[in-house]
Amino acid sequence: MKPIVSCRGITKVFGKGELAVHALRGIDLDIMEGDFATLAGPSGSGKTTLLNMVGALDHPTAGEVAIDGQPLSGMSKSALSDLRLNKIGFIFQAYNLVPVLSARENVEFVLRLLRVEPAERRRRADEALAEVGLQGMEGRRPSALSGGQQQRVAIARALVARPRIVLADEPTANLDSTTTKELVDLMYRLNQESGITFLIGTHDPRVMEHSKRHIEMNDGQIESDTRG
Amino acid sequence: METFKLLAPLAWRNLWRNPRRTIITLFVVSVGLWSILAVASFISAWAQSSRDATLRLLIAQGQIHAVGYMDDPNISNLMPPPDEALVAALDTSGISNWVARLELPGVVQSEYKTLPVSLVGVDPEAERRISSIPSKIVEGRYLDGPEDDSAVIGLNLAKRLKTALGRRVILMVTAEDGWLEERSFDVVGIYDADTAFEDTYIFTGRRPMQAMVGVGDKIAQIAFEVPEDAALAGVVERLRAAAPTLDVREWRKISLIMGAMDATMGGVVFIWMAVMMVMISIGVINTQLMAVFERTHEFGLLRALGFKSRHVLLLVTFESVLLIGLGVLIGMIAGAATVWGLSDGIDLSAFGKALEAFKAGDTLYLEVNPIDYIIFPLAIWALGVVVALWPAYRAQKISPVEAMRQAT
Repeated sequence: MKPIVSCRGITKVFGKGELAVHALRGIDLDIMEGDFATLAGPSGSGKTTLLNMVGALDHPTAGEVAIDGQPLSGMSKSALSDLRLNKIGFIFQAYNLVPVLSARENVEFVLRLLRVEPAERRRRADEALAEVGLQGMEGRRPSALSGGQQQRVAIARALVARPRIVLADEPTANLDSTTTKELVDLMYRLNQESGITFLIGTHDPRVMEHSKRHIEMNDGQIESDTRG
Repeated sequence: METFKLLAPLAWRNLWRNPRRTIITLFVVSVGLWSILAVASFISAWAQSSRDATLRLLIAQGQIHAVGYMDDPNISNLMPPPDEALVAALDTSGISNWVARLELPGVVQSEYKTLPVSLVGVDPEAERRISSIPSKIVEGRYLDGPEDDSAVIGLNLAKRLKTALGRRVILMVTAEDGWLEERSFDVVGIYDADTAFEDTYIFTGRRPMQAMVGVGDKIAQIAFEVPEDAALAGVVERLRAAAPTLDVREWRKISLIMGAMDATMGGVVFIWMAVMMVMISIGVINTQLMAVFERTHEFGLLRALGFKSRHVLLLVTFESVLLIGLGVLIGMIAGAATVWGLSDGIDLSAFGKALEAFKAGDTLYLEVNPIDYIIFPLAIWALGVVVALWPAYRAQKISPVEAMRQAT
């Protein structure tokens, strides 16, 4: 297996001088193809910062991140947008759907950016929504969906373009335990069936239970990296 | 095109996320444009009415004089009656009416007072076609013919002279030989125009006046009328060609104040437009900045999904284009409806005396000027979109990670 994500010596410092905060301190990490990895740790441990680096949303102060063998340093903003669009799916904690678009339109959105033909777009969006159990709800706006259903739409959107990796930052933080279990089962099933790589930032034990690889962070460093 | 298809529906829906704010902005834009169009129509109608009313008194659309008369309107600067070439030019199409007059400065005297005036010798039949004075007689009658040696004076002048219909006044004018010639005239008519005009002009038959000052058939001016102001410059050129030794002028060069007022009226509309544009700009910037700040997280989300910064710029700009475009459309419809609703005329007769200083008629007729409905809406639309580029630029500059961080 080859690494989808490769981090070497990642350091991130916010602020300067006495006010400098070292969010990441020399992270070395490889996320392999097909991983279902959880990134855990207390608040402020650097989980979200690391996910932002891996997601090409932020630049490290030092070190190098490569996605699918492609180093991110030196890439233009436009090229980073293209990389996110083509290779990375995101699932965020909350507020993660465009409120004026229906569930189908939210999922189709990424395909539109990829210039997929309308008929094919619709077919793939409906398929993705069916895959996450939202058949019949395609026309609903986010405000007409429950939190769990919204997160399913977000998962469908993250998967519809068949990315190389899905990054999820606290995807179950606002959900009840039943919905959390359903979603974690869903992501795990998609990982098993489709082989899509997942890197999930979480401190939810219900999510960690399913992980095949558990990375523990503390104070901007990887404390442990275990496969279970 | 694909980008347009992606962004346009999204922009339209974004507009209605906060309907109240959108409606307030639409109100500002549409009322602003409506007021500009309505003010433009009203001022244009007022200027037209005021101009027509003034020109119809005596000036007409243009006049022909001997060179030097306009600077020094005395008896030594008169001109001969029009020759064949000039009459032919005056009788051609483009000039609806023309009239020859003798006008000289003089003095009028009653039993009580002596006042400076302009004595105008006219051909009453021709005057009825070109001047509104014959229709403004409030006591007595207008002159009978060019031989009529009576006098028609203004209402206010009659009051100042303490004279009245049927009484006599003495008129003194410098004659051809340089001596002051005086004659008594019966006051047969009193007219009601604006006060300044009433105080200045006394009318009598042209021939008795020519005989009084001993100038033969000389005249002081030919006044002419054209149906369309736009054709005036061409008419003036043709008359200059027909009478190269005479001074042919359009009304703007005869009454400089009126010419300046005519230009100022257009300026008032542009000042009003500038005020409205500032208000609209403030409204649009405020709305779009709020809309951008409220959606900081969403822009971050879109950027994370693969949206490029130019997409964000285009999205916010599209929203401005739609918002201001809709406001402009409503404003245009409201403006046209207002003018159409008042197309029968605005009756100002109740303010007759108060408005006398503006010399406008009693009724203003508003008209839709197609150019106004192109220039003003486009100007507002363009300005609105330009000022909204700032919020759009700010939205474009939002970093995705900063945007996501702000919301969590």
